[in-house]
Amino acid sequence: MSAGGIGLALRMKGVSKRFPGTLAVDSVDFEVYSGEVHALIGENGAGKSTLMKMMAGSFDDYSGDVEINGKVVKLHSPSAAKENGIEMIYQELSLALPLTIAENVLVGILPTKGPLIDEKAMIRMTADRLARVGLGHLNPNMKVKDISQHEAQLVEIAKALGNRPCILVMDEPTSALSREEVERLFGIIERLKREGLAIVYISHHLPEIFRVADRITVMRDGKKVGTYDRDEVNTEKLIELMVGRTVKEFYGDRQTKLGAEKFRVENLSRYGFFRNVSFHVKSGEILGICGLAGSGRSELAQSIAGVDPADDGAIYVEGKKVRCRSMSQALKHGIAYLTENRKTQGLALRISMGENALSAMIPRHTKFGIYSRRQGNSVMEAGIQELQIYPPDPSRMVNNLSGGNQQKVLMAKWLATKPKVFLIDEPTRGVDIGAKMIIHQAIQRLADAGNAIILISSDLPELTGLSNRLMVMRRGTFIGEMPPGEFNEESALLAANGEGMWVHAGQ
Amino acid sequence: MQVNEDIVRPDRRSVNFGFFSQLLSRMGVFFLMAILMVAGVLISDKFLTLSNFSNIISAVALLGIVALGVSFVTYSGHFADMSVPVIMAYSGIISVATLKYGMVVSIACGIGVGLLIGLVNAFVIGKLKANPIIWTLAFSFIVSGYVRWAYSGRQIYPDVEAKGNPAVDVFVNLIRMDVVKGVPLVVFVLVVLAILCQFLLKKTKFGQQLKLVGSSIEVARMTGVNVSLTVGAAFMMSAFTSAIAGIFLASLSKVGAYYNGAGYDFSAVTAIVIGGMTLAGGRGSIIGVLGGVFTLGLLNNLMTLFQVGEFSIDTFSQNMIRGIIFILVVGLHARSLRKMGRDDA
Repeated sequence: MSAGGIGLALRMKGVSKRFPGTLAVDSVDFEVYSGEVHALIGENGAGKSTLMKMMAGSFDDYSGDVEINGKVVKLHSPSAAKENGIEMIYQELSLALPLTIAENVLVGILPTKGPLIDEKAMIRMTADRLARVGLGHLNPNMKVKDISQHEAQLVEIAKALGNRPCILVMDEPTSALSREEVERLFGIIERLKREGLAIVYISHHLPEIFRVADRITVMRDGKKVGTYDRDEVNTEKLIELMVGRTVKEFYGDRQTKLGAEKFRVENLSRYGFFRNVSFHVKSGEILGICGLAGSGRSELAQSIAGVDPADDGAIYVEGKKVRCRSMSQALKHGIAYLTENRKTQGLALRISMGENALSAMIPRHTKFGIYSRRQGNSVMEAGIQELQIYPPDPSRMVNNLSGGNQQKVLMAKWLATKPKVFLIDEPTRGVDIGAKMIIHQAIQRLADAGNAIILISSDLPELTGLSNRLMVMRRGTFIGEMPPGEFNEESALLAANGEGMWVHAGQ
Repeated sequence: MQVNEDIVRPDRRSVNFGFFSQLLSRMGVFFLMAILMVAGVLISDKFLTLSNFSNIISAVALLGIVALGVSFVTYSGHFADMSVPVIMAYSGIISVATLKYGMVVSIACGIGVGLLIGLVNAFVIGKLKANPIIWTLAFSFIVSGYVRWAYSGRQIYPDVEAKGNPAVDVFVNLIRMDVVKGVPLVVFVLVVLAILCQFLLKKTKFGQQLKLVGSSIEVARMTGVNVSLTVGAAFMMSAFTSAIAGIFLASLSKVGAYYNGAGYDFSAVTAIVIGGMTLAGGRGSIIGVLGGVFTLGLLNNLMTLFQVGEFSIDTFSQNMIRGIIFILVVGLHARSLRKMGRDDA
């Protein structure tokens, strides 16, 4: 036990939480010591989010005991959790963008001088807190919307630390960060650990876990599988524990038969976002776009799909020049675009799964203005079957599905349009390994059927594993191409950062 | 590359809600209606008569016609159309003013002017994405000001505007006319419009896409829906039924005046929300809206019938009771949604 001597910060004994229809957490024991990073992993649906919400005080009806620093406490409200020294860092930031860093960091504890806010103290206190997370150079009076994503992530941590917590819970803190930024975050975590903080670290990203965690607890189906020291386990072993079976190989070799050119883009530009982008995709090919977040890759996809206007350039589908002034026109030409954010752009959460999955098909299922619901039934059934959506009930509200199943519904929605050219932006962000595989298979099947696929992903194993060829995008231009069999995760990352042998000279 | 299947494991999670709570959330208005019915039977022996019920329906038919159109706006997630009163007033005035050219021209012009106002709303809110409440409110001030200026604040009367024209008789009796015996024209129009709206909402491309827009504008945009056109059409529907109601109202009051229609905007929203169509958009049904309208009528009727000895409910108290019931219904509805984990009403 690496940090066992220092003292138990958090101990959960036999905690359970029942939702209507499921026992999401089933008598789990979980302990975190001061000065350790304890990773919590499991597939989506394993119960780790529920356990985390329990720590955050989201439920007033869990069973079992929670002890903090040896004292039995009831975490029945978020304020109770805060009072007991638990702070949360969520995947989605909780900062108010139009406010300044200082106002965000000191929310609820703004220093006052009489009835007025003590500006000087505010700046000083904020600067202290920022310095702790290595952001000493930031001006506390800057608005949060003007700082970068990773700085905002660190500001969030600074805010949490301001309340002097003894336990810090981090949920996928690195999902929006580049690799260098992740390294900086880990440096800060390391320091916080030395200061005696107990850290619960939740992530899907196994290499990160090995890099940062001292101990690892694996959950499956609401139960705890076990807690392991970092040195006891390796990636294969963890996956085996998470899924309950042995993993052989996640990606095998796909026999690809590439056909004629299916899709071509010539000198496409949208000024301010990307310029002079040219590429082609063959039938049966999966073209990966390798670039960092902010390289213009999503904007490129949106312009091709007609969501945003392109300023210049031409697009050809099967050799025919097409103009897409709107997304519905793009759809008619067989271009589909799976958006990166399923909750705000992809799925209408408050309506049923069936209505979502068929939403892109409404014009096609309409004759003389009359929409035929029946035509959708077979499409829906095929989608449910192909993507193994659970529960297989189209009338189910999307909001009540798990993240993985939501992502499958989103995939089904676009597959239903039988796209000839499919632009896929982050198809598996935040989903479990099972859903990921099913989605990957669907993508491959679509390619094998002779369609062209353009894949955008920050998940390097996914990008390099699925793509036949990679185009490297950086700062709005294509700076290189990586031919089949000539790339791996490391070289792709290097190229995305503008280095390595596949990047054109002179860029 | 190929994905191996042997580690695929279905994600078998979902949340189940009770049949009852879903029913209550969807059809809650009919429970309220049942309670009011029982109260009605207890309060007065005149309540459970055919003539009383036909009174109730006639009294709320106009509101029903307005609410049908406005419900498209609410369903699209744009809350309400505050230009309803001015559309009703202006349509009424124009139909009276053009009565001298005959009945058909009068009705066509009345509806036409309403649609014109709707078209401006459709463009500014659909295309330019203005805030629906602010815009319709501000725009109705402008139109209302113009109407008062144009008619110097006067009312106009059908029998003066179209002296000697036989259309006058038809016009003032429009709302008192029966299609068949016992079924007034206004109720007939309400039923026809309700069927039309139900059809539009459930069976057409427009209705399907409106639901998507109401649930999430961003998702609709990313699905290839022409959001501007869809939202615009919702405001056109609202203008269309308001114009029809405006003509009926001019017929009922036998006068075209700028103040006709005042209060119909809020009453319509009340009926819509009581009927289970949430302000968040994308949820609710035409049958629910009709239920909401009828419930309001039932409530008014009960308060009028209520009399114990010397005690009866005066108009001010009636308003308070309406307010309290509105708050109760919205509160209960929000509570049940929250319980079901859909805190969005």
